[in-house]
Amino acid sequence: MKRSGWRMLVILAAAVFAAALSGASVAQQKKLVLWTHWDQNPEFNKWYADKGKEFAKKSGYEVEVVTIPYQGYEAKYLAALMAKSSAPDIFMGMTHHWCGQYDFCDKMPADLAKTYDENLPKYMAEVGKWKGVRYGIPIEHGNFQQMYINVDMFKKAGLNPDDPPKTFDKWLADMKKLTIADPKGGEPTQVGFAIRSKGAPVGITDKFLPFAHAWGARMLSPELDKATGYANSPQMVAALTFFGDLVNKDKVASLAFGNPEDAFGQKRAAVIFRESWFFGWLKKNAPDVNFKVYALPCEKVCPGAGALFPWTDLVYKNSPNKQVAWEFMKFISNPKDDMEHHQLQGILPVWTPNLDSAYVKARPDYQSTKDMLAQQVPPTYFHPKSNELATAFGEAVVGVLFGKGQPKPLLDEAAAKMDRILKD
Amino acid sequence: MLRHQVFATAMRQWFRIAFPRNYLDRRKRAGFLFVLPALLFFGSVFLLPLAQSVTYSFYKIAPGGAKEFVGLRLYEKVLTDPTFWTAVGNTVQLLLFCVPTTVVLALAVALGLNRIANLRWRNVWASMYFLPFATSLVAAALIWQWIYDPIYGFLNYALSFIGIAPKKWLQSLVEVRPAIAAVSVWVRIGFDTMIFLAALQSIPQEYYEAADMDGASAVQRLRYITLPLLNPQIIMVCILELIFNFKIFDQVYATTQGGPAGESQTIIMLLYDTAFKYFRFGDASVMAVFVFVTLMLVTLLQWRLFRKPVEY
Repeated sequence: MKRSGWRMLVILAAAVFAAALSGASVAQQKKLVLWTHWDQNPEFNKWYADKGKEFAKKSGYEVEVVTIPYQGYEAKYLAALMAKSSAPDIFMGMTHHWCGQYDFCDKMPADLAKTYDENLPKYMAEVGKWKGVRYGIPIEHGNFQQMYINVDMFKKAGLNPDDPPKTFDKWLADMKKLTIADPKGGEPTQVGFAIRSKGAPVGITDKFLPFAHAWGARMLSPELDKATGYANSPQMVAALTFFGDLVNKDKVASLAFGNPEDAFGQKRAAVIFRESWFFGWLKKNAPDVNFKVYALPCEKVCPGAGALFPWTDLVYKNSPNKQVAWEFMKFISNPKDDMEHHQLQGILPVWTPNLDSAYVKARPDYQSTKDMLAQQVPPTYFHPKSNELATAFGEAVVGVLFGKGQPKPLLDEAAAKMDRILKD
Repeated sequence: MLRHQVFATAMRQWFRIAFPRNYLDRRKRAGFLFVLPALLFFGSVFLLPLAQSVTYSFYKIAPGGAKEFVGLRLYEKVLTDPTFWTAVGNTVQLLLFCVPTTVVLALAVALGLNRIANLRWRNVWASMYFLPFATSLVAAALIWQWIYDPIYGFLNYALSFIGIAPKKWLQSLVEVRPAIAAVSVWVRIGFDTMIFLAALQSIPQEYYEAADMDGASAVQRLRYITLPLLNPQIIMVCILELIFNFKIFDQVYATTQGGPAGESQTIIMLLYDTAFKYFRFGDASVMAVFVFVTLMLVTLLQWRLFRKPVEY
């Protein structure tokens, strides 16, 4: 009796173990895992999982979406992609990093690549490509900063919200009118411009670059092999002086306001420069803000539609499910899904046929997007080490904002550091 | 010849552990088996990665994992980089804020708690001090981020009642390091207090009674009885604090990410960014070796200089 009891236990344990094993392997086989770090766009992310349910009817594979917090996402991606096990099948990232600096991406099948080449707006044609080969699907049209203004605050300051500033001189004058200083000498109670000063320097560089480009400067040489003479050019010094003065001299922006999106959403700042996704973010998080969107002001030239972070969906090269992953990508690659996917979160769709759709035309950034795209194309910095380069540059920008030094010596230091990074 | 004999003896010992002949051998084997899991854990979690870090510090690791032996070139590169020394300087400044403050405050709190005769109340107070230590560092850092907020923060609000103008705290070049140090002190004080409290309770009362009979004042009792007898614990706490604060990361990562303008970038923050943001594992390994060697040397020095055997 005792022996038979033990036998039963062993058989039972073996059965449970076998069931768990087979269950796990079945689940593993029938699921595509997609990683994204766009934690500010939950509906956009969830759509992949919803679409995966439809895809499962055809292929048997569902899609599981894992949202990795943006802060420190690189480390988590890298650990998983290097380890191979527990890595995603599909992941969101920049092509020049994950396919350029690393070799983690699977080449897009030729037929799908052709579809995208034929259906992307011209300025996005290179997004998702590395050395002429397409790996990634661009996921955001309007991925460049535009000027969001608070209409009510403009009116209250005696400014016409339908006649936005076209030059940075006029813009600065307007920012001064929009700023309400603290009578006790503390931080202003309201600022003209919501400036990004917190967080990683790479993000601060991104927010400063439109100013740099408007002053005719560029961060790196056109061949992306040199920083000295570019990152510390007289034009860059002038742009950074203007940018730093917004906080330190003109006091139309404050470092105490924290997250600039929150400051704009809470009506503590009248103007912010952000991308197309910010329209959806505002609708969801600050629906009472009455805003309009315009093209960025110009100085020597217009800043143009440029992005430091060209986000794409990529397929992991070592994924055992990469064929299915591409099938899923094909499944969602059509104008209808593109529209549905982006509309959910309030982001501009990517496919050319959607650019003049009723939804896009009804958006407040329809005309400004066209205006920005009509401006001259700004420099791009799709270098495999762009994160490290932009961080080194951003340290100079932050240094000026916080009064750590003057623009020229800080930019000289940054340029020398960037050259060392480029040579290494 | 001598070396040969030592080796033979060691092998004999191992053989007898593996195949015990008598009771003593079996005891030895039992002892070894008890220690074995800890040894395996320590070896796989600490020693292997340490060896790997040391090895990596001599290699330039290309994206994709290919390695090229570069000798001491990465050491030269990292140790001549001003960013690295700025991070070391920031870390040392944080240490100077944190270690003495934590140790002195913990000792003061422990002395206070030790005077509470009611055991229940003593435990309540002790738990209160210990609570921050049990809190997740990231969660604590986020709460402090709110406390320090220049506009909505509790601290500026509280200070306004005594007429102190609002400060930028985590967004100020001057105030950021003391502000982060305060979080570290708040987190660590409970742990150190527990160690001191346990040590205080093990000091025999007879010493104090004898001192009383000799007419010693409270300060004299503290100076000539308590502090000397707490010396091993003080040294240990100092070393633990030194290690903890030298490796400070969570609070900085969750609050300032090294900002503003790099003023709170500590050496471990820089190591993390170098390894996982810029994917330079060789450079990061050099930093890891630097941290290890520095901590080991400082710990040994501290132990050697300040540890004094005390007996009454």
